[in-house]
Amino acid sequence: MLTVKLRRAPREDARAPLALPLPDAAAVPSALRAAAEAAGFTGAAGQAVMLPERGLMLLGTGAARRSLDWEEAGGTAAAAIGEARRFAIDARGLAPGAAASLAAGACLRAWRFSRYRSEPAPGPRRLDLLVDDPEAVAPHWSRAAAGVRGCLLARDLAMEPANTLTTRAFAARLEALAEHGIAVDVLGRKRLAREGLGGLLAVGGGSETPPRLAVLRWRGSVAAAPVVFVGKGICFDTGGISIKGAAGMEAMKADMAGAAACAGAMLALALRRSPAPAIAVLALAENAVGERSYRPGDVLRMGSGRTVEVVDTDAEGRLVLADALHYARQFRPQAVLDLATLTGSIVTALGSHRAGLFGTDAGLLAQAAAAGEAVGEPLWPMPIGERHREDLNSAIADLKQCTTGRLQPDACHAAAFLREFAGPAPWAHLDIAGVDDRAEAAPLGPPGPSGFGARLLDALVSMYFEH
Amino acid sequence: MIDIAFVKPALPRHGALVLPIGEGAEALAGLAQAIDAATGGAVQRALTAAGFKGRKGQSCTVWGPALTDGASGPSRIVAIGLGKEITPEAAEAAGGALYALVQAEREAVVAAEALPAPVAAALAMGLLLRSYRFDRYRTTEKEEDKPKLERLSVATDAATAAKTAWAPLRAIADGVFITRDLVSEPPNVLNPPEMAERCRALESLGLTVEIMGPKEMKKLGMGALLGVAMGSAQEPRMVVLQWNGASRGKKAGQKPVAFIGKGVTFDTGGISIKPAAGMEDMKWDMAGAGTVIGLMAALAGRKAKVDAVGLVGLVENMPGSAAQRPGDVVTTASGQTVEVINTDAEGRLVLADVIHYCQTRFAPRFMVDLATLTGAIIVALGHEHAGLFSNDDELAGRIMAAGKAVGEACWRMPLGEAYDKQIKSEIADMKNVGGRPGGSISAAQFIQRFVDTKAGPMPWAHLDIAGTAWSSKDLPTSPKGATAFGLRLLDRLVAEHYEG
Repeated sequence: MLTVKLRRAPREDARAPLALPLPDAAAVPSALRAAAEAAGFTGAAGQAVMLPERGLMLLGTGAARRSLDWEEAGGTAAAAIGEARRFAIDARGLAPGAAASLAAGACLRAWRFSRYRSEPAPGPRRLDLLVDDPEAVAPHWSRAAAGVRGCLLARDLAMEPANTLTTRAFAARLEALAEHGIAVDVLGRKRLAREGLGGLLAVGGGSETPPRLAVLRWRGSVAAAPVVFVGKGICFDTGGISIKGAAGMEAMKADMAGAAACAGAMLALALRRSPAPAIAVLALAENAVGERSYRPGDVLRMGSGRTVEVVDTDAEGRLVLADALHYARQFRPQAVLDLATLTGSIVTALGSHRAGLFGTDAGLLAQAAAAGEAVGEPLWPMPIGERHREDLNSAIADLKQCTTGRLQPDACHAAAFLREFAGPAPWAHLDIAGVDDRAEAAPLGPPGPSGFGARLLDALVSMYFEH
Repeated sequence: MIDIAFVKPALPRHGALVLPIGEGAEALAGLAQAIDAATGGAVQRALTAAGFKGRKGQSCTVWGPALTDGASGPSRIVAIGLGKEITPEAAEAAGGALYALVQAEREAVVAAEALPAPVAAALAMGLLLRSYRFDRYRTTEKEEDKPKLERLSVATDAATAAKTAWAPLRAIADGVFITRDLVSEPPNVLNPPEMAERCRALESLGLTVEIMGPKEMKKLGMGALLGVAMGSAQEPRMVVLQWNGASRGKKAGQKPVAFIGKGVTFDTGGISIKPAAGMEDMKWDMAGAGTVIGLMAALAGRKAKVDAVGLVGLVENMPGSAAQRPGDVVTTASGQTVEVINTDAEGRLVLADVIHYCQTRFAPRFMVDLATLTGAIIVALGHEHAGLFSNDDELAGRIMAAGKAVGEACWRMPLGEAYDKQIKSEIADMKNVGGRPGGSISAAQFIQRFVDTKAGPMPWAHLDIAGTAWSSKDLPTSPKGATAFGLRLLDRLVAEHYEG
């Protein structure tokens, strides 16, 4: 993450380019008018014109109102800055919240993952945020920075290759969150067996690295039932015996993006000392092809006692989530949200611009959608119909895990399946398969993992569960 | 079609006697009580023994009941549950389920004395819709395998009110059957010219029918529709059906409501040919047009007080020697150009030209198009909901509500600039596919580009009925096969908001 300094004025020796946020052409300082005009600068959001000879950037903000608008302007600045190691944004004269959002957006856009490069990728490292009163901005910034760090943790985890981020390594990364005051409990095979979590055990059975259930707790400071996040953490998904085609399989290292987003949200809550208690239940497994892999036709007894007929071992996410959702019931949550890169069907349905939102509680669904809009992670409501549940009737078990054949509404089927395991608390399911990775750069992130969900959950808690 | 009559209550001497009973009904009354008495309490004993409580979906049949006076009576008595809330919707579903229980009798009498007129009419409607059968091409079916029911008599003291409630339903049922016939017809019979001729036959209902061929369409610049038709030996047609139920006899007509249907009478996919498995289903790729035609017949049949236009673009998508190719660029009637990437995304090309023509000629109050447009909508929603796309929240809300009321549910799907970008072309104004992700949405974005809002708002909705136009299993009021999904919905939309 960018190192952000709040300063009243530019450094004396500064050769770092300075971005000037401007709402329209009229706001351009008179000395720069001619250049702005020649470059076609209108102040519209998304515009950034470098004036290298002056060390300045004209940054269009348009009529920015929401913090998301300011974040996107900050992201645009970070993208346009090129290879400069240090840059500055002149937020003097702006409200403290807007200034903080500019920095947050810049950090999100400037994120890079260099661990496996011999030389770090070029680009900015440091940001000087020029403000009128650093002390007034500091609390806004620390709040915004918490969400950013949560999001970037989710991206870092999703980016890690599957040979380094094994289930064990993922669990160790989560255990390290204890330094921020998060209590972490990791259930290994023995305890999973004692809990009877047959779905998670079966999916993880084919791999050399064992399945884990990680439980992260943030106590908060108010006596209230916790909000629970449930995440799918398939560290690599070969599809198992129902193996996937080779083309594009490398992307399956990110099939743990749901769990990563939940972990990121927990980090954000802890960093900003959220008063709301929250728990994340993350199901970690590798869906490998091995001598102990589970098979199509197997019948599993799940943690809830229900039996499930396996039809396709590549529909593994719903099995591990079902057990995690069941495990979450013991916390008597006031709301449960699960995040998962669950189905290709949701990509066909909604593409890469919105995640699918399913659930049983209109209030929680509306809240999740509003939180998503606030942070630029939009959702779209999707149905769970009677027929979707009927389609899962099995000839041998309580239900089957999915259907077979062409043109199946698998995202709806998966949601209908999960509903059977979600407890009585309001529940929402976010199918993020289309949005967890960006094919193209966007104002708030380069191509690659988006961290979708971490900021959304953080915003959800902040908007609705802290009062 | 089964004859539906409303008669004075009297015990039938043959056929079936149907007793619709609500959950928690205290004692048998009217004809039910009469038949129970005439059979020495056999009916009540049977209901008790069978655990019949009047629940939704419950039924109980008493076979060949003997009358205590030795007279001849009904050959079967069928009790059918209406559930706790006796609504028209519940009665319709019960009527649908009833059909299988009485279809072996020539006549059935329903003891509907206790039912409000709309409920009695709905029960008849459910039975009638469920009785649909397309047996034109069966020549060797044995007589005993054919359903026999010819007449359903609804026994009610309020025959006049029931008849009033029934009249519009009958017209709607006629429309539904027209649609189902069109959708069921094989593609070697129902080609574009034949389908247009069948529209012509609806002039007898008071519809104005115009048929345009390739020459007229060429003059209108409909390069997209004509491009799709190039690979087939069958000429394309565009049919304009008009019903002037509001302005009839008045000088100044009002703006009509408009319905547009995709009518691909068979879709091989063209040069981007489909795989063989299941291709026979592509005979119903004209269901959008079939539904618009049935809808117009229903509006005319019930003399709806509305001005409505229905436009259908009829083509066959074949890989003939003159077929259009992937890479071709066509110019639509609106002047916008389209790069054809996939010849199997042909429905939107047809709709583009017809929608533009519709708006230009009629300046309607709204446009709703129906199309079996994408496989993606099935992957998104399955078979319970049609995908609803709209640029107008009020219209969309009304469609959602109307669909819910008639059991043709829609689910709103998103539109937006990010999706619109998916159909950018390197050579033309747009391309005709936007990739697999959000496939139904980019298709809707394509259509939306032909809805002109430059001069002012143009409320528009697009129903992707690929998952709902045909059912692989029996539904409460639709045997498996063509459903006519959308017809009753749009009829209800008109009745609720655009009449009078």
